[in-house]
Amino acid sequence: MKLFLLYIDPGSGSYLVQMIIAGVLAGLFYFKNLWFKIKSFFSKPKKDDSSENDNVNG
Amino acid sequence: MADYFQHPASFKDPSGFVFRANDKFYRQVNQSYADDYHLLMSSGLYKILTDKKLLVPHAEVNENFTQSKDWYKTLLPEQLSFISYPYEWSFDELKDAALLTLRVMKIAVNHGMILKDATSFNIQFYQGKPIFIDTLSFEKYDASKPWIAYRQFCECFLFPLLIEHYRQIDVQKLLSVYLEGIPAQTTAKLLPRKSKFKLNIWLHVFLQSKVGANNNKPSNRTISFSKEKLLRLLDSLESTIKPLRIVTSVQTTWNNYYDETILSKDYLDAKEKIFRDFINDINNGRVMDVGCNDGYFSKILAEKNNNVIAVDFDSQCINRLYVSAKSNNITSILPFCIDLTNPSPAVGFNHSERQSFAERAKAETVTALALIHHLVLSKNVPLPDVANMLAGLTKKYLVIEFVPLSDEKSQQLIANKTNYHTPYDPPAFEKYFSQYFEIERQQVIPTTDRILYRMKKK
Repeated sequence: MKLFLLYIDPGSGSYLVQMIIAGVLAGLFYFKNLWFKIKSFFSKPKKDDSSENDNVNG
Repeated sequence: MADYFQHPASFKDPSGFVFRANDKFYRQVNQSYADDYHLLMSSGLYKILTDKKLLVPHAEVNENFTQSKDWYKTLLPEQLSFISYPYEWSFDELKDAALLTLRVMKIAVNHGMILKDATSFNIQFYQGKPIFIDTLSFEKYDASKPWIAYRQFCECFLFPLLIEHYRQIDVQKLLSVYLEGIPAQTTAKLLPRKSKFKLNIWLHVFLQSKVGANNNKPSNRTISFSKEKLLRLLDSLESTIKPLRIVTSVQTTWNNYYDETILSKDYLDAKEKIFRDFINDINNGRVMDVGCNDGYFSKILAEKNNNVIAVDFDSQCINRLYVSAKSNNITSILPFCIDLTNPSPAVGFNHSERQSFAERAKAETVTALALIHHLVLSKNVPLPDVANMLAGLTKKYLVIEFVPLSDEKSQQLIANKTNYHTPYDPPAFEKYFSQYFEIERQQVIPTTDRILYRMKKK
């Protein structure tokens, strides 16, 4: 089943590093969110300018 | 059953392969890839990627050309006009190819698929933009797993871009040796200390170089990942790549060549007038502008021809041309970094995985403006060899400018040297080129001693 994986050796290193990075980014995301919540508590709501988005399903 | 020829670069992935038959490139899908192919087509992923011109579109052909038992489907992809390799791309071409890969990956994840490989060879330039060409790179997404092609993406895209951004090293030279990408450990040694203080760079380069080096044993530990984590990883890669730039203050050979030369305005206008006259009736087939500099004349060629390949050895010139063509929506020029005195060789497995420049470059029309004095006077290539090389590239027409010894630029080139090949003058030039070409027209460019020729291949 996983024969095709042979030609890109994922290496446990690559998986491990992605887990660490994802962990760090999740922590950062948490604090960023918290910061925005605190900021928005003290300021008026602004219009959201969302950029070009590919997030289309279907 | 038609004769077919399997593409020598298409052997790594057992999901299928590219072959040539009836003068067209096809892609065979094998049985083992049937489920993933079905998912690609039925999930709407193929449609959205091709609608956005991110993936090369194909038609299904109901014929088993290869008569193989593994056969599932034959695809006829839209045929590309020119194949180039990452070690021929300028900085912004590589950067756009990287961002394209991430964009394709993100859309795929939202359709329940991922890219199982992320090599830069999966990208080609087509109609002025990068496009993903490997239709068999998509596989069903297992949300509990990290991205299998993460390391490959970093080595093929992120690391070369970082090295050029921080060190102003022409990354084409490195990539022509590191065909599978530059390893994290090598990148960590090349990057300056200050880059460590950027969190994303520390994570993707320095952390990876340490973790990767110390964890080569297969691990049995269960890995839990999630779609949210994966998308955050992709965002992090994207936000690391987006701000990367090349420093343009570095003085290169052609930097502001036209601005500084005293020949500039009158000379350019006169040359343009004759050039336009010479190419007026040439508008079929591929045009190769060799030694294109900033692409001033490539753009003139592109007005009438939709298949102009512009090459120069100065990667910053090529980058400027790419960026300016992109911002002006010129889709008919593809600029690449090629040194005619050291063109891309045939490399990879069995010397046949990646073709040499000469094998790919033949063009109906070749233009070589203000180039010959650099080859003969700086690089000491004898005139007969220049004629032979250009005849090899040209199928039909050659428009070439002869820059005599008396010219100011030639004088600069020989100011500090005495050993160059002679005779180097119009009669010798005409004699050697007449071996391969018939000189149709010639005209001295007013205010200079330079001569523009139009020749037809014999």
